[in-house]
Amino acid sequence: MSLEKLLENPRVWRGSCQASTRAGLASGYPKLDRCLPGGGWPQQALTEILTDQYGIGELRLLMPALAELSTEETHYGEQTEPGWIAWIAPPFQPYAPALQQSGIDLSRMLIVRPKDDSDLLWSAEQALSSGTCVAVLLWPDKLDDQGSRRLQLAAEKGHSWAIAFRPLTARQQPSAAALRLELQSTGQGTRVHILKSRGGRPAVLDSLL
Amino acid sequence: MLRDTAPTAPASQQQLPFAEPMPLTRPLLVAPKQVRRLWFCIWLPNLPLEACGSSDEALAIVEEQHGIHRVLQVDPVAAAVGIMPGQSANAALALLPTLRLEERSRVREQQVLEALATWLERFSSFVSIAGKDVLLLEIGGSLRLFGGLRSLRQTLSKDLDAKGFSAAMAIAPTPLAATWLARAGRRACIRAEENLGPALRKLPLSCLDWSAGQCESLTGMGIHTVGDCLRLPRAGFARRFGAKRLLDLDRALGHLPDPRDSWRAPERFCADHEMVEEQSDRELLLQICRELLLLHEQFLLARQLGTQRLCFSFFHLKSVATELRLGSTFADRSAERWFDLLNIRFEQFRLPEAVIAVRLQSGLSQPLQAESAHLCFDNKAGIQRRRFSIAQLAERLVARIGDHSVNALATVAEHRPEYAWSLQNPLSDVSSSTLMTCDGVARPLWMLSEPALLPADGDYPLHKGCRLTLLDGPERLETGWWDEQGISRDYYTAVNGAGMRLWVFRNRQRTPNWYLHGIFG
Repeated sequence: MSLEKLLENPRVWRGSCQASTRAGLASGYPKLDRCLPGGGWPQQALTEILTDQYGIGELRLLMPALAELSTEETHYGEQTEPGWIAWIAPPFQPYAPALQQSGIDLSRMLIVRPKDDSDLLWSAEQALSSGTCVAVLLWPDKLDDQGSRRLQLAAEKGHSWAIAFRPLTARQQPSAAALRLELQSTGQGTRVHILKSRGGRPAVLDSLL
Repeated sequence: MLRDTAPTAPASQQQLPFAEPMPLTRPLLVAPKQVRRLWFCIWLPNLPLEACGSSDEALAIVEEQHGIHRVLQVDPVAAAVGIMPGQSANAALALLPTLRLEERSRVREQQVLEALATWLERFSSFVSIAGKDVLLLEIGGSLRLFGGLRSLRQTLSKDLDAKGFSAAMAIAPTPLAATWLARAGRRACIRAEENLGPALRKLPLSCLDWSAGQCESLTGMGIHTVGDCLRLPRAGFARRFGAKRLLDLDRALGHLPDPRDSWRAPERFCADHEMVEEQSDRELLLQICRELLLLHEQFLLARQLGTQRLCFSFFHLKSVATELRLGSTFADRSAERWFDLLNIRFEQFRLPEAVIAVRLQSGLSQPLQAESAHLCFDNKAGIQRRRFSIAQLAERLVARIGDHSVNALATVAEHRPEYAWSLQNPLSDVSSSTLMTCDGVARPLWMLSEPALLPADGDYPLHKGCRLTLLDGPERLETGWWDEQGISRDYYTAVNGAGMRLWVFRNRQRTPNWYLHGIFG
C-alpha cells in the first residue's frame, strides 16, 4: 500500500493537518504567531490566560490585536462599523488614556460589573452571542468545564472572541477553550507557555514580553 | 366691496324657506337638523405670568428685546410697587430688590396650554389650540350635557379661576369671531350667525392679531374697526394686505369654512387581566403578561406610537400590589422585545404572595422611529447577521445587573491621572473622548480606584515586602491648584521582585509618602 493511499483513509489522523482553516488574528508578536495554528489568536473561540499576577504583561499581550479589532470595520448586514469590546468584571479600572495610547478606539469599550459569578457568565454569554461585540474579556472567580463550554459556544454563535483570565490553579481543570496560555514572570521577562492549542502544539516562549 | 361677489354660505340660507317643510303638527322628535356649530374661545392674556405658577412673592416675567431684558408681565404684588411692563429688568430690580425675575419660556407656555387642552377635553370632543395663548372648544354638541350655555360658561370660568388662570371668554358661531371677541374683552355670546356681522363690525383692529405694520397702515387710512375693513373693495384689500387677511374676514363672518385641528391628548395604555382565583404559577403569570403586551402592541400599532416605559402591577388579595418597571432606550412597541426584557427581569423578581390580577400601564407614548426594511432580500453569504444592537445588549445587561453596572469609557482633558478619564452611558451616541497627549509617557493599563499607600524603607518604596526597583522617572505632575484637589507628585515606573510593573508616585506635598497608583497590565 502506498503512502498516499494510506493517508486517504479517513481513520488516519494527522496532527499537523488539523490546523483550523480559519486564519487567526495576528497578535502583534511574531514569535507567538508562529506557534499558533492559524497564525494568530483563534477567532470565534475561547482563549484562556492563566496567571496569578497582574502587571506582567497580561493585557499588553492582547493590546495589538484588540486595537486592530476596535478600529476594523465589521459587516453587520448593510452597515459596517467597528465592533465593541466588552470588559466583564475587570479586577481594576481599565485606564482610558493608556488604552488610547495603545491605539484602542475608546468609543467601542463597554465595561460591565456584574454582581456575582452567575451574572458574570450570563453577561459574557449575552455579549458574545449578541454579534455586536468582537471581543469579550472576562475575569471569573470560578469557571467550570460546563461554563467554558458555554462561552466557547456563545463565541462561535456570535462570531466573537472570548478571553477568560483565570488563576494558575485552573491548569488542572479540563476546559473547552481553543487556546490556553500560562503567563509567568521570570527574571528575564514574562514567559508564555502554550498549554493547549487546538490544531497546534504546546510550546514555551521565554521572555516574550 | 365685500358684498360684490355672492357669498357662498348665505346662499343656502336664502333657499332655506323653500327647503323647510311646513310642519302640520308639532313634531314629536327634534328634526335631525345639523347641529349648529358654536365656538367657545378662551383667551389667556396673562399666560406667560400664569405659566410660572402662583406664589406670594413679587414676580415679573422678562423677555429679551434688542439685547435688553424688559419686563413683559408683572403680578399684582409687583404692580403695586410701580413695576410696569416695558421697564428694563434693572429698573424693576431697583424698585423692588426682592423681585423674582423669570425669563419668558414659550416651551413652558405651550406645555401649560397643552395641559389645559387635555383638561378641556372633558367639556367637548373638539378642542383646538389656536396660536400661542388661545384655546377653542366646539360646544354646539355639549350644551345639552352641561345644562345649557350659561351653566357651561359658569363652570368653565369657575374652574379656570380655581386653576389660577385669568381668561377672557367669548362664544360665536365661527372660531375666528369667537377669538376676536374674546381678545376684544367682550363677554360676548352670539348664537345666531346673522348677529355675527353687527357684533364684529364694532371690533377694533387691535384684537385681530394682525401684524403691527398692517394695523398701522390701516389706521393711517382711517380704518379703525372691522366694519371699516368690510367696506373696502375686496380686490384692492387683498392686493394691499394679502389674500390671507381677506380670508380671515370671510372666515370670521362664516362666509367660508374654517377647519381646525383637534387636540388629542397623548394616549397611555392601561389594561387589566383579572383571574378567577389567586395564582402563583410564574409560567402562567408570564403568559398573562405576554397577552397584555400583545394588546399593548396592537394599541400602539393603531396609533403609530411607541413607548419607553412600561409598568406591570401584580395585585394581591392581602397586601399592596407589587410593581415591576421596565425601561427601553428607544420608543418601542414590539411585544416580543418587551417580553424579552420582562423575562430577564422576572427571573429575579420576587412576588410576596399569590397574584389575583395583573395590570399593564404604558408610559407616555411617542411617535415611533420606524426602520425601513430592505428592498432586496438578498442575504449575501459571509455577511454577519447582527442579533441585536449595542443598545439592545446594554439594555438587557442593565435589566439584569442594574443601572450603573454597564458603562462606556472616555478620556477627559486633564493632567491629574485620576481625573483623566470618565465613565459614560454606553447609549449616548456622542463619545466625548478628547485626545490627550501624554508626551509619549506611558500610562498603566490598570488604574487603582484610590492610590494605595506603600510602606517605605528609607527612600525606597516597598511592595509585598520587597524593595521596588525604579525603572523610569520621575515624571512630575503638579497641577490642579485651582480647586481643592491640587496635586504635586513625582511618578515612577517601578518593578517589584515578582516582575510586576507598577506605577508609583511620591507625594511632594505634606508628608513625602509613596503610593501605588496603577499597574502596567
